[in-house]
Amino acid sequence: MKRDTALVRVGALLLALFVAAPLYWMLVTSFKTPSAVGQTPPAWFPHPFTWMNYRTSFTYLDFQRYFMNSVIIAVSSTLAVLVLGSGAGYALARFPVRGRMGIMTALLVVSVFPEIAVISPLYLLMRLVGWLNSYQGLIIPYTAFNLPFAIWILRNYFLSIPREMEEVAEIDGANPLRTFLSIIIPQATPGLFTAAVFTFTATWTEFLMALTINSITPYRTIPVGIALFGAQYTVPYGNLFAASMVSIVPIAVLVLIFRNAVVSGLTQGAVKG
Amino acid sequence: MRAGTGSAVRRARTGWRFMAPALTVVVAVTIFPIVYSIYMSFNRIQLTLHGFHFQWVGLSNYRLLMASGLYRYAMEFTIVYAVITVLAELILGTLAALILQRLRRGRSGLLALLLLPWSLITVISAEMWGYIYNGVYGVLDAILLSLHIIRTPVVWLGFPQLAIASTMFADVWKTMPFVAILVLAGLEMIPVEVIEASYMDGAGSWQIFWRVQLPLIRSTMSLAVLFRILQAFGLFDLPFVLTGGGPGTATESIAVLGYQVMFQDLSFGPGAAVAASTTALVLIMAMVFLWVFRGMAEEGMA
Repeated sequence: MKRDTALVRVGALLLALFVAAPLYWMLVTSFKTPSAVGQTPPAWFPHPFTWMNYRTSFTYLDFQRYFMNSVIIAVSSTLAVLVLGSGAGYALARFPVRGRMGIMTALLVVSVFPEIAVISPLYLLMRLVGWLNSYQGLIIPYTAFNLPFAIWILRNYFLSIPREMEEVAEIDGANPLRTFLSIIIPQATPGLFTAAVFTFTATWTEFLMALTINSITPYRTIPVGIALFGAQYTVPYGNLFAASMVSIVPIAVLVLIFRNAVVSGLTQGAVKG
Repeated sequence: MRAGTGSAVRRARTGWRFMAPALTVVVAVTIFPIVYSIYMSFNRIQLTLHGFHFQWVGLSNYRLLMASGLYRYAMEFTIVYAVITVLAELILGTLAALILQRLRRGRSGLLALLLLPWSLITVISAEMWGYIYNGVYGVLDAILLSLHIIRTPVVWLGFPQLAIASTMFADVWKTMPFVAILVLAGLEMIPVEVIEASYMDGAGSWQIFWRVQLPLIRSTMSLAVLFRILQAFGLFDLPFVLTGGGPGTATESIAVLGYQVMFQDLSFGPGAAVAASTTALVLIMAMVFLWVFRGMAEEGMA
């Protein structure tokens, strides 16, 4: 494989450029003054350099509120998915439930359903119970839509945990819930992290439901805020990208720290089924 | 070992107790709406002050769709878009995976970089590409002008064909890394000895790829492809923000059309019929997905 090295290096460089160049452009633009943002030909570096866009987005443009809404909704949904999903994953991994394969298959199919297929009944339902423009109006659907994939990931992880300790606990007379909480959950942290990172990413980036269910400013999440930022004739790209960079950072940090968990989750999700 | 039917029944009951909360939520908030949406598509729906009013109209919403050129175009566009972008992702993603597999220095850094587009909010990447493609101050025109590839600035999102191609490119940028990571995982599952033996036999890199690696990762690839195609059928965020479905209706996907019919025209009946056709598309693909998955399980590849 040694003779490939030069070719591989050039390929890796091109790949890195392809992925990074658009991101670099967004970062640079976020530090430019409004006149530099619309300048032709554009400057490759932000000169003069300014933090103004970041200040404006946060102080005048409601972005702080969108950010808080996103945090509240994504964190609550992730916690709910972990609590409900670990129970279901455990049941599917360990208990002789009839129709187990059928349930697993149905979950797999549901997990790839596009949101447009369910958005109208959900909207009408939320309207009926008065949950349009509320936190629970998004937390509940987000929990439901991310559960199937999380259950798959967690079930696969539980299968890899040896049974001995559970059997000992059972013989000692511990009830199933206690065994689950004190023996299984502590051993399952890597699986829980994977499920958490996936759910958090999915809820943080979700757009269609957020747009239809939480459409007014006090309850908008980041994607909706950013999409409607640019609805005017001239788009304030400097502010827009400053806000974008701030909302990329938490998820990027999370994904980079847990990148092994992410890669293993992606692989499990599609390679192992 | 646990013997006796009594204990098995008790254990099954405990299992159900662990599963019940999650399954209740999934059935109530995903499966019920999918089915209900199909029921809605056979009704005329009027919003009242707090609720809504249904009137059974049979197939009339579907007849409306069949007669609509807009709907036929959206259907065609979505399918063609899914096929082309997924094919491009597959080719580029496989190339990227082969590079990553052979790379020694900077490999984990590059892998981390690939995760960034994947985790990016699609709305943000749409705005980002909107700025790059801009016909007045866009950086793409600036680069191409300075390289003398084009002579006058191009309005990338101003013409149907160009807008479609530009949207596809932005999509491939964001989702190719997903395919690359999956294919890489598939490649890594192939034992090193298999590759080394082929080298000993005097096979070149390309031969090894075509004759040894590709056949072994075929099932991984087909699952990645089916998964991506299913996702692409739901295409909404990117065209909604980047082009608004335009110019005209050139980049109007099924989901964008469905959204407009439902939430801008407030025609929930026809909108539900649009949504139900997505359900049909997805179910057909899901059958294929499961069929391939079964085949894989039988081959003992899972």
